[in-house]
Amino acid sequence: MHPDLPRRDFLYRSLTGVGGIALMDLLVRDLSAARTDGRADPLASRPGHHEAPAKSCIFLSMLGGPSQMDTFDPKPALTRFDGTPMDWSGEDLTDQPSLFATARKIVGSPFEFRRHGESGIWISDLLPDLWPHADELAVVRSVQADNGNHPAAVFQMNTGFTLPGNPSVGSWVTFGLGTENRNLPAFCALPDFRSLPFSGSQQWGSGFLPATFQGTVLRWNGEAVRDLKAPDAVDPGMAAASRDLLRSYNRAFLDRHFTNPDLQARIDAYELAFRMQAEVPGVLSMDRESEATRRMYGLDDARARSFGTRCLIARKLVEHGVRFVQLYTPSQSWDGHVDIVWNHGKNSAETSRPVGALLADLKRRGLLESTLVVWMGEFGRTPDTVADRKTKGRDHNIGAMSMWFAGAGIKAGTVVGETNDLGYKAVQDVYHVRDVHATILHLMGLNDMRLTYRHAGRNRRLTDTGGRVIREILA
Amino acid sequence: MPFRYHLTDLANTVHFRLISLAFATLTAALAATGNEAIFEERLRPVLARNCSSCHGGSEPSGDMAVDRLADLLAGGKHGPAIDPGSSSTSLLVQYVRGERAPRMPLGGKISPDDLAELVGAVDSMQPARPGAGGVSAESQWPYTAPERTAPPRVQAGMWVRNPIDSYVLARLEAEGLEPAMPAGRRTLARRVHFDLTGLPPAPEDIDAFESDRRPGAYERFIERVLSRPEYGERWGRHWLDLARFAESDGFAIDRERPTAWRYRDYVIRAFNRDKPYDLFIKEQLAGDELPASDGGEDSDRLVSLGFLRMGPWEADSLSMQKLRQDFLNELTGVTGSAFLGLTVGCAQCHDHKYDPIPQRDFYRLQAFFSATRAERRPAPYADAENRREMKRVLRRYEDSLDEAEDSLDVVQARLIDRFVEISGVADEDDERLETFRKELNVKNEFFRKRTGPIFEEPLWREWLAAKDTRDRLAELHARHAPVATAVSDVVPPDVPRVAPTFVMAGGEFDAPGESVKPGFPAPLAGTAEPAEIPFRSGSSGRRIALAEWIASPDNPLTARVMVNRIWQHHFGAGLVRTASDFGRNGDRPSHPELLDWLALRFVESGWSVKRMHRLMLGSATYRQSTHHDRHADYAVRDPDNRLLWRMNWLRLDAESIRDSLLSLSGRLSPVRGGPSALLDVPADVAQGFEFFKWFASSPAEQRKRTVYTFQRRSVVQPFMETFDAANMSASCSRRNTTTVAPQALTLLNGDLVNDEAVHFARRVIGEAGEDRAAQVGRAFRLVLGRTPSADERDQAVRAFADAPAEQAVARLGVVLFNLNEFLYLQ
Repeated sequence: MHPDLPRRDFLYRSLTGVGGIALMDLLVRDLSAARTDGRADPLASRPGHHEAPAKSCIFLSMLGGPSQMDTFDPKPALTRFDGTPMDWSGEDLTDQPSLFATARKIVGSPFEFRRHGESGIWISDLLPDLWPHADELAVVRSVQADNGNHPAAVFQMNTGFTLPGNPSVGSWVTFGLGTENRNLPAFCALPDFRSLPFSGSQQWGSGFLPATFQGTVLRWNGEAVRDLKAPDAVDPGMAAASRDLLRSYNRAFLDRHFTNPDLQARIDAYELAFRMQAEVPGVLSMDRESEATRRMYGLDDARARSFGTRCLIARKLVEHGVRFVQLYTPSQSWDGHVDIVWNHGKNSAETSRPVGALLADLKRRGLLESTLVVWMGEFGRTPDTVADRKTKGRDHNIGAMSMWFAGAGIKAGTVVGETNDLGYKAVQDVYHVRDVHATILHLMGLNDMRLTYRHAGRNRRLTDTGGRVIREILA
Repeated sequence: MPFRYHLTDLANTVHFRLISLAFATLTAALAATGNEAIFEERLRPVLARNCSSCHGGSEPSGDMAVDRLADLLAGGKHGPAIDPGSSSTSLLVQYVRGERAPRMPLGGKISPDDLAELVGAVDSMQPARPGAGGVSAESQWPYTAPERTAPPRVQAGMWVRNPIDSYVLARLEAEGLEPAMPAGRRTLARRVHFDLTGLPPAPEDIDAFESDRRPGAYERFIERVLSRPEYGERWGRHWLDLARFAESDGFAIDRERPTAWRYRDYVIRAFNRDKPYDLFIKEQLAGDELPASDGGEDSDRLVSLGFLRMGPWEADSLSMQKLRQDFLNELTGVTGSAFLGLTVGCAQCHDHKYDPIPQRDFYRLQAFFSATRAERRPAPYADAENRREMKRVLRRYEDSLDEAEDSLDVVQARLIDRFVEISGVADEDDERLETFRKELNVKNEFFRKRTGPIFEEPLWREWLAAKDTRDRLAELHARHAPVATAVSDVVPPDVPRVAPTFVMAGGEFDAPGESVKPGFPAPLAGTAEPAEIPFRSGSSGRRIALAEWIASPDNPLTARVMVNRIWQHHFGAGLVRTASDFGRNGDRPSHPELLDWLALRFVESGWSVKRMHRLMLGSATYRQSTHHDRHADYAVRDPDNRLLWRMNWLRLDAESIRDSLLSLSGRLSPVRGGPSALLDVPADVAQGFEFFKWFASSPAEQRKRTVYTFQRRSVVQPFMETFDAANMSASCSRRNTTTVAPQALTLLNGDLVNDEAVHFARRVIGEAGEDRAAQVGRAFRLVLGRTPSADERDQAVRAFADAPAEQAVARLGVVLFNLNEFLYLQ
């Protein structure tokens, strides 16, 4: 808050809707740029290591591990050998030996595959809403993970490591780039509250990075940001008077102890909190979205409403300059051990329309040019199930998964990597989860080797000893 | 040069790595010139012919240059390019041979002659083992014993209150700086009180100290505060951070460790009783291997083993072998960092370029734990743990759990009858009945399919309630069981021999290499011989051997590391700022002689932590103001205040903020110790877990000090997280102090603040009466320890003049709790 600016005036303007917010936005950016106390604002927007098209990233986490052979990696051999015994001897691919102690049989995909778009990318009928966007996608069919256990694998997808205590991708990105809009959290996490990912908030935690870079959870029903509003029992006039008194006391204290920069930083943090109180409800409000937009995202469909609302919020957030947004399906939602038709069908109903709508909406608003969209799970699935299972199930598999990128900096309409005939093992252009991370950083202007933070005696990285950027998908 | 040849031979054996530091020092200079010569004469020509076109010049490909020996040793993103003395493990050779992809040189092939020369040159180099290369007196720190020095002479001797000040002032004077003025008594009272107890001093205590004009008033004030039980609660918490204390396993299942709280209480008692630090170490590593103590309380020596049990535990690990190896690696790492300030964790996978602990030493250290297994050991409650009360409560829970089981059985039978009735199930073998029974075992509502009319019946809700009651009582019952979360050793005759320890290639549990015996890290112990293990019946004796070595006055690190930790908490930063990393990669001490003097004094004073407090708090250094008249000038010369020309500002930590709010409202529970209180947490934090349900404790229990609240790894308390509480996944030596907007939102709008503010208001009105100005005065004195200025008082009265007194003071309370003056200690 600039000392010369009358605060009543400020409050008034901040409450006068779009114009006020835009004005305030300008004012705030100006102010943060003009900081002169010599202490760098850790969230101030800053250039990365190189020029890059992606200003924001939306990470769509498909928890549980979608099946590659039922989504983006058609395997006719599975259909041909459907129901015949599967022989795993000689393979050491999956780290779930217990699953393979019993007789297994091959499972053909119950879903139809077709080529779509000019690029002719194969997409199954599980994700019909992606068909029109085939030419926007860069599909990687050959990503491998290290651990076939959900909790460890989800940690790896988010932090690069299978153990807890490490910063998530979003934390690293905001640590590297800061954020464009200081009235909103830099890194927003949008989990599904019916079932949180394992270890909950550690998945969007900042690990050993300062808490400044941790993800802020946004809720879409009820209060969006924790403690955003004063308690109902507090009279608004009293709340405003408290704010003024707080400002006054803090300012006087700062005048006496101007040598401590933390005091100014904390005063700034309070001002940001007040701005968030003013801006967040507006950004998250669905009122300004047309009926058609809401329908497009599936808000009229009970099954798609949760993911759809969050996809729509994601668009609004990147539109307002939020750096990193991560969405989660419910924990283990894609985990179709027993019945892939029922399980993946349910997930299709919950996510297909919202994801298609997100791509369409970003595109028509010109946001796809500056937004990177990533769709991935923690691992892939097996081509087979236990022999005596009546339904079509698939188990965990770290040997191959399919994931895709879309948006900024992507060579759209690309397919990278191949798996073997039965689709359980990447055999060409093999990449690792850490390579996906290196690619995300690269597309956002960061070099994974140079993005380091000193912790416990060494320089730590998202990709540990370094990843390989998936060059084939770069525009 | 027979000496050289001798070295070269040695280089090909692993044993070279164990040559003592002293020996390495002798040979280091020789090695440097020798390797440089080999590089210039033999390697450079080969590299120039094959590699330099891409990997040379100002922008070498992949940031991997080959122009200098240093470039090869620094390496690229996969590590050093050469391993001097060992061509087979050198990346450069592996790439050139095509053992790694892509084969180098790209698109070409090295000639057989060049390859032979390359291999020969690398093999003839002298290994630069960690700790060996370029060793000087400087880089031997801190692996040599602390040096005794006399406190230096200073000019401004009047300022000196104890030897700490001599060391600090000598540095200041050398730099031409002067210390700050002493802080006033009110400031000191607040500083000391928060520092030692994490709570604000009562206004009356400040007054008493301020008006105590007899000599020694400050020392007496310190003594009073040090003797309070709140002291152990705060300083115990510092240790619990290091011990990665938590009450559940973490990972997917995150199973509760129902009596882990006993370790927490043990730690708090240890600080309150000023347990000698050497004994504290021994009890935590090997309490069960110590000779019987004379004072009874032997349960303590099992409960203390909780230190070894506080790490995460992947209960659904895919392999027991991996689980065991993870457990041992974690123990080795935390033992190294908590007691010795060594980051040995890196050595789990490889020899670390800069740290002195080679991989083999990591596994030799690990071998002290090779007989150790996690075990819940019977341990009757000690008197200090409120033995009689615990017994009584346990019995009560036994009874009510029985009752709850019975009621659940009854409701469940009725529910199944009802299910049979409405679903038309005909016999016991009906699959639907089986499916329904399975549904009853699901813990998280999300995973329940809830298809069918039975889930709409009132009986279903009745069953849910009965089940919650049973589950909750089962948890409470387990938390009172006379059991220690401990370890024991698996030794002959139960097994043929103590489990062997192998060096694991790349840290992989399934890649065992050389077998090693327990031994102390060679750079510290000065010897690579296996440790002597005393015989202990029923146990391996290995842990006590390790504990005796760590807790020995001769260990160069133990005392230094601990006094540095104490210093860090008092002054905001350690003399070595990386408190758990005294390695060569860590920070250098700002005052090495002072650190050594303190370490020696610590050992000589019987490892008494409280004596260290008295010494540090009594120093003129600690008593300085945070303000300095020449701040602008000094801040340029020493921006981090490493020379201590003033006192550092300290932000209250998460526990201090929460506990202070409860204390100021007068509602802090006086109950100390015992099973933890489960706090109310927002639905999005407490729900959605598959394997447990979060049952919050009663409101009164929740008002216990934060150190007594339940630490479940996957349920992160938002308030605590926002204010940078320790992440429980690993040992934490220093917390972050961030400044973020959610802290403002939480302190302005959160339930805790607003609830306590109302009670704070009632207290203030009760103590100050009806007069608004008097209320403001009392509120200031309670929260900030001072009376308001007339202007401050008028502003406060005016701001809420229209509101009823309780509301007005409550809002004032919220404002005061948010002030920088409250959150930062001067």
